[in-house]
Amino acid sequence: MLANFVITPILIAVFLYVFASAKAAKIVAIIAQTAFTGLAVYLFFQVKQYGAIITSIGNYESVMGIILRADTLSTVFVALTAISFLMAALYSYNENEGKLFWFLLFVWQSLLIGIFLTRDLFNVFVLVEVAAVVVSVLIMYNRDNRSMYDGMFYLMTGIIAMQFYLFGLGYIYRLTGVLDMEVAAEILSGLDRSSLVLPYALIITGVGLKCAILPLFTWLPKAHGSPSAPTVVSALLSGVHIKSGIYLFMRVQPIFQELDASGFFLVIGTITGIAGFALAICQTDIKLLLAYSTVSQIGLIITSLSIGNEYTTTGAMYHAFNHSLFKAALFMGAGILSKVYGTRNITDIRGVFRRFPFLGCVIFLAILGITGAPLFNGSISKYFIMYGTTWYITWLLIFINLGTIIVFTKFSTMLFGRFEQKEVVVSANAKRKGETDFHHRDKTAKLRNYAESIPVNKQVAIAILGLVCFLGGIFGSEFITFLFNVEVSVDAAGYLEKTMIFAVSVVAGILIYRYVVRDNAFLKRFRAIDFGFRGTCAAMGGFFAAVLIVLGFVMN
Amino acid sequence: MNYEIVEIFAIALFFISLFGLITSKGVIKGIVSMIIMEIAVVMFFLSLGFQTGILPPIGAELGDNVADPLPQALMITAIIIGVAVTAINMTMLIALSRQFKTTEWDILKKKNME
Repeated sequence: MLANFVITPILIAVFLYVFASAKAAKIVAIIAQTAFTGLAVYLFFQVKQYGAIITSIGNYESVMGIILRADTLSTVFVALTAISFLMAALYSYNENEGKLFWFLLFVWQSLLIGIFLTRDLFNVFVLVEVAAVVVSVLIMYNRDNRSMYDGMFYLMTGIIAMQFYLFGLGYIYRLTGVLDMEVAAEILSGLDRSSLVLPYALIITGVGLKCAILPLFTWLPKAHGSPSAPTVVSALLSGVHIKSGIYLFMRVQPIFQELDASGFFLVIGTITGIAGFALAICQTDIKLLLAYSTVSQIGLIITSLSIGNEYTTTGAMYHAFNHSLFKAALFMGAGILSKVYGTRNITDIRGVFRRFPFLGCVIFLAILGITGAPLFNGSISKYFIMYGTTWYITWLLIFINLGTIIVFTKFSTMLFGRFEQKEVVVSANAKRKGETDFHHRDKTAKLRNYAESIPVNKQVAIAILGLVCFLGGIFGSEFITFLFNVEVSVDAAGYLEKTMIFAVSVVAGILIYRYVVRDNAFLKRFRAIDFGFRGTCAAMGGFFAAVLIVLGFVMN
Repeated sequence: MNYEIVEIFAIALFFISLFGLITSKGVIKGIVSMIIMEIAVVMFFLSLGFQTGILPPIGAELGDNVADPLPQALMITAIIIGVAVTAINMTMLIALSRQFKTTEWDILKKKNME
C-alpha cells in the first residue's frame, strides 16, 4: 500500500508527459494533486488510529527486502509534501510552464515521499541522488544567465556529499549486515563506541550538507535564491525539500545512539542560526534574503533537536512544519512582487499595502508567523523550542529570533511607503531623447493591467498558506497533539512572558534596522560572501575531520 | 589478495579524490575527481563482500569461500546513477563553457556574480 504513494506520482508524471497536452496537463495536475493530498491525509488518519503501517516490498520476511514504514513523523511530512505541492500546482496554474515542468514536479514529489517513507538506508541514497538531479534541472528551468552555474554547483556538491554518505553506509553494512535503519540501530547499540565514529562522521557529513548546516550551506542560497528557478521551485525547495535533510538528520541520530553528538550540533546549530540571519541582513535581493533566512531557521531547528528534551524536539518538528508553510507563502509572495514590480531588489519595491492590500496582508501574516508574533504558529513552535532550556540557550534562541525580526523588518519595508512609478522615469528619459514613448506607455499599461489583477489562483494559494499560519497559532497546542501525538499545553504565564520578550525584540529589531543596518556600507561587503565550489569541497573535508576529532577524541 | 588491502586502497583513493576536488581549478578535473570518488566507494563496497567465514545468503552447499551478493547489487545501482550524473554534468559543462567561455571554477564564480 505504501509503495503506491511513491509510485503513483511517477506514473502520473509519465502519463502527463506522454499523453496530455500542455493545457490538459495543468488541469490533470491539479486534480491529481488534490486527490493525492486527500490520500495523504487519509494515510495520516490511518496511522494515527491504528499505529505505524509497515510494508515490505517484494513480501520478503523481516529485513531481507526493502521496508517502507509510515509512522506519525513520516506521515506528517508526507501530508505536508502533498499540501505544498498542491499549493504549488495551484500557484503555477496560470503560467505556461510546459509539460516538462509538470513531469519534473511530480517526479520530485514522489522522490520526496520516498525519502519520508523508506526505512532502507541505501534507498535513501538513491532517492536523494535522483532528487538532486531533478532539482538541478528545475533550478535552471528558465535558462537564465546564472542558472547553469547554480544548477551545476548544486548537483556536484550534492553528489559528493552523497558519496560521503554511501561510504559511511558501507561501514554500517560491514558492522551490522543490514541496511534497515531500525535493525541497524539495534545492532549498533551493542557495539563499541570507537567503531562508530568513522561511519557517523561520514554519514553526518552527507546529511549535514543536505540540511545546510554551517560550513556546508553555500549551495543553499544558490539553489533557493537562483533567479532562474520558477517561483514555485524556490518555494518548494525552501518549504519541503530542505525538510528532507532535517528528516534524515532526525532518522540518522537514533542509529548512532551510543555516540551522543548533541553537544556538537547544539554549537553548530546556533552558529548556523546566527550566521544565517547575519548574511540575510546584508542581502538586497528578495529571493536571496529569504534563502539565507532559511539557513537561519534550519540552525534554529537543528539546535532545538539537539537540546534533547521532549518539548524542544516537538517544538522543532512543529517549527519545521510551520517553516514550510510560511516560507512557501513568502517565496510565492516574493515571486508575485518581483514580477509585478519588475525587480528583485528590496529597496526598489515599496507600497505593497497601497497597491495590493490583499497580497500585502497575506505576506504580513507570513512575516508575523516566521518572526514568532503572538497568536501565530511561529510563536507556538518557538515557545516549545525555548521550553525548559537553560538560560544561556534561551538567550541564544532569543538572539536568533531578534535576528529574524531584523531580517523581516527589512523585508517588510516593501509593504509600506508609497510606490514611485518607475515607468514615469523611463518615459521621461525617452522624452529627453526626443522619442515618442508609445513603447513605454504600452509597457506601463501592460504592467498596470497585470498589477490590478493578480491571478486568482495565485491569491488563493498564498492566502491558504497565510491562513494556516494564523490557525496554526491559535490552535497551536491542539495542532501539536493532533499532528505528533504528544500531549503539550501552553502555560499562559510563560506565553505572556514570551509575548513580552517578542514585543521588546520587535522594538529593538526595528531600532537596530533603522540605525545600524539601513544604509550600512560595511554590511554590503558581506553580500557576496561565497566559498566557491572548491571551498565547499574543502568545507566538507573540514567538517568531516571536525566531527571525527570532536567525537573521537574530545567527547570520548 | 586480502580484502583489507582493497579497503585501505579504497579509503586512500576516496581522500585523494577529495584532495583533487579541492585543488583542481578546472571543472573537468573536478568531474573526473568526482568519478574517482565514486569508484573509490564502489571498491570499498566490493571489499565488503569478501569477508572470510560469512554465511551464504542463498544455497546451502556452496562451501566456505562465498561472496556476499548484496554489495554488488547495490553498487550496480550506484554505478548507473553515477553514469547518469556524469552525463548531466558534462551536458551542463558544455552549456556553461559556451556561455562563459571558460571552464575554471574561480572565473565562473566571478563572472556569475556580475
